[in-house]
Amino acid sequence: MLTLVITLFDAALPARAGGDEGKSDLDVKEVIFEHLGDGYGWEVPFSHVYRIPLPVIVRAEDGQWFMFSSAKLTEVIVEEDLATGKKTHHLKPVIHDVERDGKVYHFVIAHVSKHKNKVVELFPLPQEKEAEVKAIADAQMAKPGAEPAANVVGGYCEVDNVYYREYRTLDFSITKNVMALFISVLIVTWMVMSAVRYYTRKGFKAPRKGMGFLELLIDFIYTGVIKDTLHDKARKFAPYLLTCFFFILTMNLLGLIVIFPGGANLTGNISVTLVLATLTFIMTNVLGKKHYWKEIFWPDVPIWLKCPLPIMQIIEIFGIFTKPAALCVRLFANMMGGHMIVITLVMLIFIFAAFGAAAIGGSVVISVIFTIFMVALDVLVSFIQAYVFTLLSTMFIAMAQENGHDEKGADHEDVAEVEA
Amino acid sequence: MELFTPDFGLVFWMFVAFIILFFILAKWGWPIILKNIDSRADNIDRGVEYARQAKEQLDSARDEAKKYIDEAQKRQAEMLNEVSKMRSQLVEDAKADAAREAKKVIDAANLAIEQSRKKAELEFKNEVSKFSLEIAEKMLRTQLKSDKAQTDLVNKMLDEIEKN
Repeated sequence: MLTLVITLFDAALPARAGGDEGKSDLDVKEVIFEHLGDGYGWEVPFSHVYRIPLPVIVRAEDGQWFMFSSAKLTEVIVEEDLATGKKTHHLKPVIHDVERDGKVYHFVIAHVSKHKNKVVELFPLPQEKEAEVKAIADAQMAKPGAEPAANVVGGYCEVDNVYYREYRTLDFSITKNVMALFISVLIVTWMVMSAVRYYTRKGFKAPRKGMGFLELLIDFIYTGVIKDTLHDKARKFAPYLLTCFFFILTMNLLGLIVIFPGGANLTGNISVTLVLATLTFIMTNVLGKKHYWKEIFWPDVPIWLKCPLPIMQIIEIFGIFTKPAALCVRLFANMMGGHMIVITLVMLIFIFAAFGAAAIGGSVVISVIFTIFMVALDVLVSFIQAYVFTLLSTMFIAMAQENGHDEKGADHEDVAEVEA
Repeated sequence: MELFTPDFGLVFWMFVAFIILFFILAKWGWPIILKNIDSRADNIDRGVEYARQAKEQLDSARDEAKKYIDEAQKRQAEMLNEVSKMRSQLVEDAKADAAREAKKVIDAANLAIEQSRKKAELEFKNEVSKFSLEIAEKMLRTQLKSDKAQTDLVNKMLDEIEKN
């Protein structure tokens, strides 16, 4: 519930800012993507312009490393409407100049560029070249049915109506997502270590309350998934799989909390799921047994399927990569989809707001009901996706750990069932 | 499209963060927890088994105790029975003895009485016969004072003998 209320507040602020100007410049797509994507600063709760600054770490084109606060890249502009006295706040990107060894480096968060919302290094153009680029942009804009982003010219970035040559820096910034990642790591470490502390202090005393729930989860995954599938090898792979489960679960749930420690759409970011899937891929293949490789390169099928034309081999090798890819995309799509639906439902209120008071009333009620439902569903999905990721990872690893034929068929069926 | 392109910086940090987390937890976290969960589960299993056995033992002990008590009660009843039987036997015996003794005493007494009675009778007879002899002597003396009387008597007696 709290999450929902905060979601509403959070989304309401920029919309109100837009509405005050009398024209509907509410860009739904922009708002949705901003919520789903990464950022260099972290929104201060209930404010849509002020950001908690985070360190930006970039490598310029000539190999120099720079680290500065993300606050230097944005500026809050307060506009006061003289007629009504209302103040509106805008967040505006500014060029951050750093002088080093007699050379000046310019950095900016690109807006009109191919690298939108990323830190790029700018190089001022000679006047003729600048005019030429601008002409191209204008020509693109003048085309009938041109999109708002049509003024982007590849390799160039526009800031305050001036085009610069841009260089996408090598970016190791501690962005909002990276920060959320660290927070998740701390939370998971704290959680597990508190359990360890409990066991070392209290021994065999049965855990109660929060610790009981934590142990329930650990036991659910360890006994229900890992031990059942990997049997005697459970202990070897349990640390990886349990870490996966708790890390994903924490990131998922943290993503559903809208204000500061949460709100980063981590598991709905393909980079994060890609790393997780890659790690499972490594665990599966690097530690795979002989039988697993034999099944790939010389499977137990009629000879004509594998000899002159290596049909089965191609399928199996393809399968090695599709399995983790499915893991990656499943988690990413589920979590991102959940976030997207919630934010879209909330945005409906502001879309319908254009049709007057009755439409607002109706859409608020409907949106709130649907959003409550979706957020509740997302909590469930957070758990299910963490579980499914762990379950499938376990099965992939188990398949690579087999020595004989006896269990293979059963495992394949299980995987097919879950994937369906 | 921005959403579907992995960001290099984030991939890097994610990898670093996950590896660090994994090593911390794999070294100091999970093994301890899993060992504890497993050994506690074993412990609980053992405890349950122990309790079951203890209950079984308790039950059998209770049965045994009941058996002992029952037996003791039976023996007590038997003993009481025996005692009462013995007592009545004793009483009976004593009664019989007493009766026999009494009879003996009575018999002896009877015998003594009989003897003394016979003796008294005898004495009495002797006494009586002595008296009657004396009386008869006196009578004879008076009756046979005359000679005639004496001759009459002798005659009479001779008659009697003759008749016989």
